[in-house]
Amino acid sequence: MNSQMPQEIDLTACEREPIHIPGSIQPHGVLFAMSRADKMITHASANAVSVFGIDPVSILGKTFREALPEVAAQLDGDVAEQTPLGTARYVRAIVLKTSMGETAFDAVLSRSGSHVIIELEAVPEDTVSSLDVLYPALRRFVEELHGASTIGRLCQVAAEDVRRMTGFDRVLIYRFDEHWNGTVIAEDRNEALPSYLDLRFPASDIPAQARELYRRNRLRIIPDANYTPVPIQSHDPAPLDLSDSVLRSVSPVHLEYMRNMGTPASMSISILRDGALWGLISCHNSEPKRVSLPARNACDFLTQIFSLQLEARENTTLAENRVRLGAIQARLLAYMAGESLFVDGLVNHPADLMLLAGAQGVAIVTDEHCWCLGETPGEDEVKALYAWLSEHHQEDIFATDRLGELLPEAKAYADKASGLLSISISKMRSSYILWFRPEMVQTVKWGGNPEKPVQEEAGTSRLHPRRSFEIWKETVRGRSLRWDQSEIEAVKELRNAIVGIVLRRAEELAALAEELRRSNKELEAFSYSVSHDLRAPFRHIVGYSELLKKQEWSSLSERGKRYIDTIIESAYTAGTLVDNLLRFSQMGRTALKPRSVKVSELVEEIRGKLTEHAGGRRIEWFIGDLPTIVADPVLIRLVFENLLDNAVKYSRTRDTSRIEVGSYRDNGDIVFFVRDNGVGFDMKYVDKLFGVFQRLHRIEDFEGTGIGLANVRRIVERHGGRSWAEGQPDKGATFSIALPESEGAA
Amino acid sequence: MPELKPILLVEDNPKDLELTLAALEQSQLANEVVVVRDGEEALDFLSRRGSHQNRNTSDPAVVLLDIKLPKIDGLEVLEKVKADPHLRRTPVVMLTSSREESDLIRSYELGVNAFVVKPVGFREFFDAIQDLGVFWAILNELPPRRDDR
Repeated sequence: MNSQMPQEIDLTACEREPIHIPGSIQPHGVLFAMSRADKMITHASANAVSVFGIDPVSILGKTFREALPEVAAQLDGDVAEQTPLGTARYVRAIVLKTSMGETAFDAVLSRSGSHVIIELEAVPEDTVSSLDVLYPALRRFVEELHGASTIGRLCQVAAEDVRRMTGFDRVLIYRFDEHWNGTVIAEDRNEALPSYLDLRFPASDIPAQARELYRRNRLRIIPDANYTPVPIQSHDPAPLDLSDSVLRSVSPVHLEYMRNMGTPASMSISILRDGALWGLISCHNSEPKRVSLPARNACDFLTQIFSLQLEARENTTLAENRVRLGAIQARLLAYMAGESLFVDGLVNHPADLMLLAGAQGVAIVTDEHCWCLGETPGEDEVKALYAWLSEHHQEDIFATDRLGELLPEAKAYADKASGLLSISISKMRSSYILWFRPEMVQTVKWGGNPEKPVQEEAGTSRLHPRRSFEIWKETVRGRSLRWDQSEIEAVKELRNAIVGIVLRRAEELAALAEELRRSNKELEAFSYSVSHDLRAPFRHIVGYSELLKKQEWSSLSERGKRYIDTIIESAYTAGTLVDNLLRFSQMGRTALKPRSVKVSELVEEIRGKLTEHAGGRRIEWFIGDLPTIVADPVLIRLVFENLLDNAVKYSRTRDTSRIEVGSYRDNGDIVFFVRDNGVGFDMKYVDKLFGVFQRLHRIEDFEGTGIGLANVRRIVERHGGRSWAEGQPDKGATFSIALPESEGAA
Repeated sequence: MPELKPILLVEDNPKDLELTLAALEQSQLANEVVVVRDGEEALDFLSRRGSHQNRNTSDPAVVLLDIKLPKIDGLEVLEKVKADPHLRRTPVVMLTSSREESDLIRSYELGVNAFVVKPVGFREFFDAIQDLGVFWAILNELPPRRDDR
């Protein structure tokens, strides 16, 4: 992390700082620049005096050969060769006479506009520079790469090998996100420096122009953050662009940051993918440290191999993810197919549903139901969110990693749902599946000890990774991890599958409805035929028997007369049965025609008729307040006729029949009841009472076809109500019907 | 006393025919009962066509019309009668074995004057036929306007 900038310093100033033209270099080497056209020396660093005993100003305007004969003799050919722009080309080690005697220097050439820059870095003692040492290290790295199956493992191998090759105390793999915030994703270190694994850094730590420089010049090194910059002498008023230089002096802000981190030496290598900055390999040392140019070049080479591997690994990971998500999706599909309602398939397997989108919580919301699974906001909050989505986001897929910015209420539950990914399943019935992700800050754990350095370095903490972490937390406040493309694709496919299932169900239902219509039609035709053809013969039997009885009565024997009466009665009963059956089947088919019905008048009318036919029986009626309801008048009349008729019929064994009709309200229903003091029934047969052709009494005792109460129940159910009975043998019975007040009441 | 118009009974089922005639007989109506056995003949009679081209009876006081008939069914006869300016004032009573609501609704839509489902009980059947005969034949008045149809 070569250029982390603290927040307190004016950031816009930081972003404007022209770090590519500092006008100075670091002191571990000497810089000369010459014009490419005429090979005249145009720039020289001030330390040329102390190193070579050459006054930098005195050689300005002289030719390369004149000014630096010893260097020119060894590098002239290389300088003549065109060094392409954007690279620093390590040429070779050369030996030069200095104030210290003969010294080995690594020579580096680069281009800067119309200039050629020559940088001479004294070869550090005790450092790895021989290719004999570096080559096996590189080869080992390449071999280890094959075993690294994941990106995490790959990064770990890279960190370890860079550290092995350079000897830094700590090597980090630092990765940028799409907003240029950084995360330490791998680390190799000794005990000299603390762990920074998982630490986050805000984008402002590495401003845009620094990132551009990193992209262009892949490796930077600062051997000692406490260095004194060496000015560059020149007659040229235009500053020398040091973008490709290896000795470029860095921002003082950055140096302070490094000192505060306790890392006076650092090196960073850019990880590029497709020419864009993917991340950095960042090396730190607790003591000043030099790394030879060959070793640095080897690290750069290693990093380039690493980048290529990264790309391959990322593609593999992507493919593996797709396979993994495909498998989850297949499971979810199987669950859904196994249930009659697809929702049940999802609700019963929340783990897979969440895994599909990498979410911590999921909610399935329809206009009737709300299922919250895993870590989700409260049900009321989810419902409010659903209402908001229904109004504003009817698109098939909606994804955000910062819900709070779109919906301020959502800030209240940022810990559960800063990220929202949702699919709309049915626009007509407005059904959604919502996946939630918590605020990123809540999920980050820094493996290091972020508290300690702050206390140790009070007063300077504003320029410190701990502070960076705080700034990062502020910048990503209210944000979740981004929903990546594979997750969005996965839920999109799930949506398609669900829509497919829903559609198929709808088709099946339509087919079923068609089938029903057809069989209903057949049933109608059947009952039409029954009503004509089955009914007529009974009528004929009754009719002819009556005629026979009338005309031949006197000539019939007593037995003959009894036979005729039995024939008439049986045929009559059979005919009535047919009538009742037809009425029962019609009741299920014909549409209700609800109107306002005054139940008190209806009951009074039926009572009058029943009393008339009851002969001399004594019946005491107790009729309470009966409200007006909305119901099909014909059908509801049948209900009360049946109930009152039964009450009269089954109480006829009493000296005085007592029949009570009343009503009360119960929980949104209007309940009507008819109570008698008749023969009652045993409650263990209560279920049989309302069945078709179910009788609890012998036909000789109580006549009837056994269909009356079945009609009652069917009519009441068609009105959305309930019917029930209570009784005891010989202690009377109470029959009740409940009609929903909203539908049944006026 | 006005001339007694006949009652036109349209019935194909011989048993129903016999029973209906017996019932009419018992009601001791003075009106002649003309019997035809299918819808086509009923229309011929009413329109004085075909074999009834030269009938010298007056137009019927009431038509007792079964619904299920050969050739042209009762509903169609009703429709033609009520659509014919010369015939539409002739009262038509549907006499049917069917309890089908659709028949009832259709009949009233076509302008039937009464709709009687033949009861299973003979006494009820007799009562119904007699009531009809008395109402439509002897009183022989124009049908009252039906406001509720």
